[in-house]
Amino acid sequence: MKKTSIIGLIIIAISIGVIISIYADTSTYGNFSEAQEKQSELVVVSHLNKRKKFTYDPHKDANYFAFYAIDNKGKECQVIFNGTKPQDFEKSEQLVITGKMSGENFYASRILMKCPSKYNKDQVEIKANGSSAVKSGI
Amino acid sequence: MDQTFSGEHLFAGHAGQFFVVLSFGTALLAAISYYFSTIKDTADGSWLRIARIATWLNTVSVIGIGASLFYIIYNHLFEYHYAWAHSSRALPVYYIVSCFWEGQEGSFWLWTFWQAVLANILVWKAKTWESPVMTIVMVSQAMLASMLLGVEIFGERIGSSPFILLRDAVNLKEMAPVLFADPANYANYLTYIQDGNGLNPLLQNYWMVIHPPTLFLGFASMIVPFAYAIAGLWQRRFSEWVKPVFPWALFACMILGTGIIMGSFWAYEALNFGGFWAWDPVENASIIPWITLIAAMHVMLAYKNSGHSYFTATFLVLISFVLVLYASFLTRSGILGETSVHAFTDLGMFWHLVIDIVLFGLLAIYFLVSRWKQLPITRKDEETYSREFWLFIGSLVLVVACLQVIGTTSLPVVNAMFGTKFTIKEPIETYNKWQTNFATVIAILSGLSQFLKYKNSDPGKFYKKLGITAAISAVLTVGAMLLTGVYSNPMLAILSFAAFFTIAANGDILLGAIRGKWKLAGSSVAHIGFGLILVGALVAAYKNKVISINNSGAGIPVKDFEKTNKSGENIMLYKDEPVQMDKYTVTYVSDTTDYPNTFYKVNYKVFDKDGKIEEEFNLYPNAQQNEKMGLISSPDTKHYLTHDIYTHATAAPQIADHQEHEGHTESEEYQEPLTFEVNVGDTVRYKGGFIVVVSVNKNATIKDIPLEANDIAVGMNLEVHAGEKIYPAEPLYLLKGGNQPMDFGRRVDDAGLMVRFTKINPDKNNLELLVYQKKVQERKWIVMKAIVFPYINLFWGGTIIMVAGFLLSILRRNKELKRN
Repeated sequence: MKKTSIIGLIIIAISIGVIISIYADTSTYGNFSEAQEKQSELVVVSHLNKRKKFTYDPHKDANYFAFYAIDNKGKECQVIFNGTKPQDFEKSEQLVITGKMSGENFYASRILMKCPSKYNKDQVEIKANGSSAVKSGI
Repeated sequence: MDQTFSGEHLFAGHAGQFFVVLSFGTALLAAISYYFSTIKDTADGSWLRIARIATWLNTVSVIGIGASLFYIIYNHLFEYHYAWAHSSRALPVYYIVSCFWEGQEGSFWLWTFWQAVLANILVWKAKTWESPVMTIVMVSQAMLASMLLGVEIFGERIGSSPFILLRDAVNLKEMAPVLFADPANYANYLTYIQDGNGLNPLLQNYWMVIHPPTLFLGFASMIVPFAYAIAGLWQRRFSEWVKPVFPWALFACMILGTGIIMGSFWAYEALNFGGFWAWDPVENASIIPWITLIAAMHVMLAYKNSGHSYFTATFLVLISFVLVLYASFLTRSGILGETSVHAFTDLGMFWHLVIDIVLFGLLAIYFLVSRWKQLPITRKDEETYSREFWLFIGSLVLVVACLQVIGTTSLPVVNAMFGTKFTIKEPIETYNKWQTNFATVIAILSGLSQFLKYKNSDPGKFYKKLGITAAISAVLTVGAMLLTGVYSNPMLAILSFAAFFTIAANGDILLGAIRGKWKLAGSSVAHIGFGLILVGALVAAYKNKVISINNSGAGIPVKDFEKTNKSGENIMLYKDEPVQMDKYTVTYVSDTTDYPNTFYKVNYKVFDKDGKIEEEFNLYPNAQQNEKMGLISSPDTKHYLTHDIYTHATAAPQIADHQEHEGHTESEEYQEPLTFEVNVGDTVRYKGGFIVVVSVNKNATIKDIPLEANDIAVGMNLEVHAGEKIYPAEPLYLLKGGNQPMDFGRRVDDAGLMVRFTKINPDKNNLELLVYQKKVQERKWIVMKAIVFPYINLFWGGTIIMVAGFLLSILRRNKELKRN
């Protein structure tokens, strides 16, 4: 057998190993109820409950940010994040949060926001030249 | 009846759309003519002539698209959706260029523009390769043009045109149902749309002007090696294509590499990622084809010099371009959804992008399979002590490294295909863990193979050189680890050894090059750059230190995070209150607002043990108060030769915009008043000073109001003592016609006061004085994060050296081509 063929086989074996371990390294997206059960680190896809207020008072603690999120199953949970309020948080459409459940709260170590609406949602701002037209119209 | 609209400038859009369709048609015509020119060798060259004219027309129409789009954006023609969505009137001219490629359509245009430029160079330079190579290039050009078509065929919209009108793209009647219910208003809809959505403030940066064109030139130039490889297989000029493709492949790698580095530097300097590489899927997507093309070049070199590794070289060249298309699919189809912060959203081109990948993938597979038996694959075994053998091994390792990145980045694709829900919890750590291993092997190999000759080398000499270089690198590694403090992790020590090994080995070659073998300088310079990048990235990634640790509560971590023992990385700074942060005394000194940007002046001082200032500098992190996006902050960094101090405001009070709403009422500005009943000679106190009632002026006059016979006007002469200063004030009391009470208060702005004389109480024999104090301004503050990046200049220096190495290699290979 040619040396390169042997090496080729070894490389293929390593590649398979790499791919398998990629999937061994993964976890799956979960929800708050699962986080409650498992008590281990989990990635939850959720969205911000915009009706409830979030807590960020830098005068008290610049690294304490708490808010309410609703997961895909509709369960709501208070999420506490060790950091500042991410930019444009209010407008996020989706929050992918990594963290752990402890008691009633979910402690997030990472928050990934998705706000596609920022530039792409077609919300046309309609302003009038003469202000009277606005009043009569909108 | 068709609705007519007034005020629209439809000509620019019609012209643009005409050019879009023309560019598609001419690209297709060029591809077909080049195809026939390749397979039918007509004596008069008529197919070739048609193909060249079509290519030339295609270039003209691509420029036409660009000109029309520029005209639309430059003149703020918001009747076009693209101009409305990506620009605004307030935008300075130089950012108009950025608006151009903020959207997907514009970035497709950029790609097709560069491809047209490259096509013209090929027509000029490719000689016997012109017809087959240009066939493939023009197929790609037609595919790109189809992405911009925006034409409906059988109810399916093909592509997305930048010339779609706002009223077609958006249902305006839904936006303002009442206003536009009136047909007269609807016909004049443009008068109601006064400004565009504007350019994303994060992108209002000069990097946004130069980074996308560079990156897209890199992507576009990847088509050339692909086209040459296909042409070589197609025309059965199996080994010929490798030589002319070499400068092209180097060029593509250099430009794409430069584009990626620019993005990385932009992220580090102007965005608040807090680093230079985040393993974001969009970043990964662009670096994967770059790595596979680098691997391809190494095996092409092996093939050219030894005849080995033909298939690997061809395959890697082909797959690199397919991976460019895959990258385009990942970033543009919306599939990354949950995993990336900066991918585009879906424009409805999901399947269009898939077809693009499949088309070029099938083309590659077809030619590889149909020519399989004729490929010049050697049956002979490579020598162990030969350069070609280790080039081959090195390229395979690069491919496996890529596989890890592709595999992980493609998790969302796997999820979409199989309905699974895989994700990675700590993506950055996972990538770093894997890639440090691969990088180690690659660095060792790129040093080692410098000591080997093609075909066969003398093992004795090889081991001698290897031994010396390893010893030198070991010394360097120990030195570097002591200097930087990276010694916690054995894997990191091994990686830094490998990086120094490649620097030392290639440094040896470079010395030889300076002594006369200048030909070899390019690759050794590029490899030294690569080694420096590894050392720099390693130290900066593992030894960067957040110094803004919040230990105001005596090192207590954030409430409820005691378990993870992760202390807060953001620190509160009140104006003029110094805070100790690592060795720095940090003070928020002042701020200046140049709407919409606020720059916070943050002063850093280091004192020596005698209390003298050893080091002092100011940083100006900036926060933009954006109506649409809230607070957007950009960092500022102090650069030293050996380290950087990065500072970024993570939270700041929202600044009320005074220009926007006028007419503050007084009650908004002042606190509830203090009411006093006084007589002449009395003194009343307020927070911050006292007021003396000096006298009463019974013959007071009021400016601009003539007094009538029955009017009684009384002034109260006051002395306001605020600190050391005294301010006079005379509030007035008026009984109009003897029975209508009025009063005229007086503001004492310097003392932050307003005083009113509001009543005369004859029964109590005193006067009523109201003292209003201005609301105390909230103490100014910012929350900031500061990170020290040690030795980051090794990383940036390495990138520049690597690009320089590519440039030297291009010059060398071009010379070789000319000589033949």
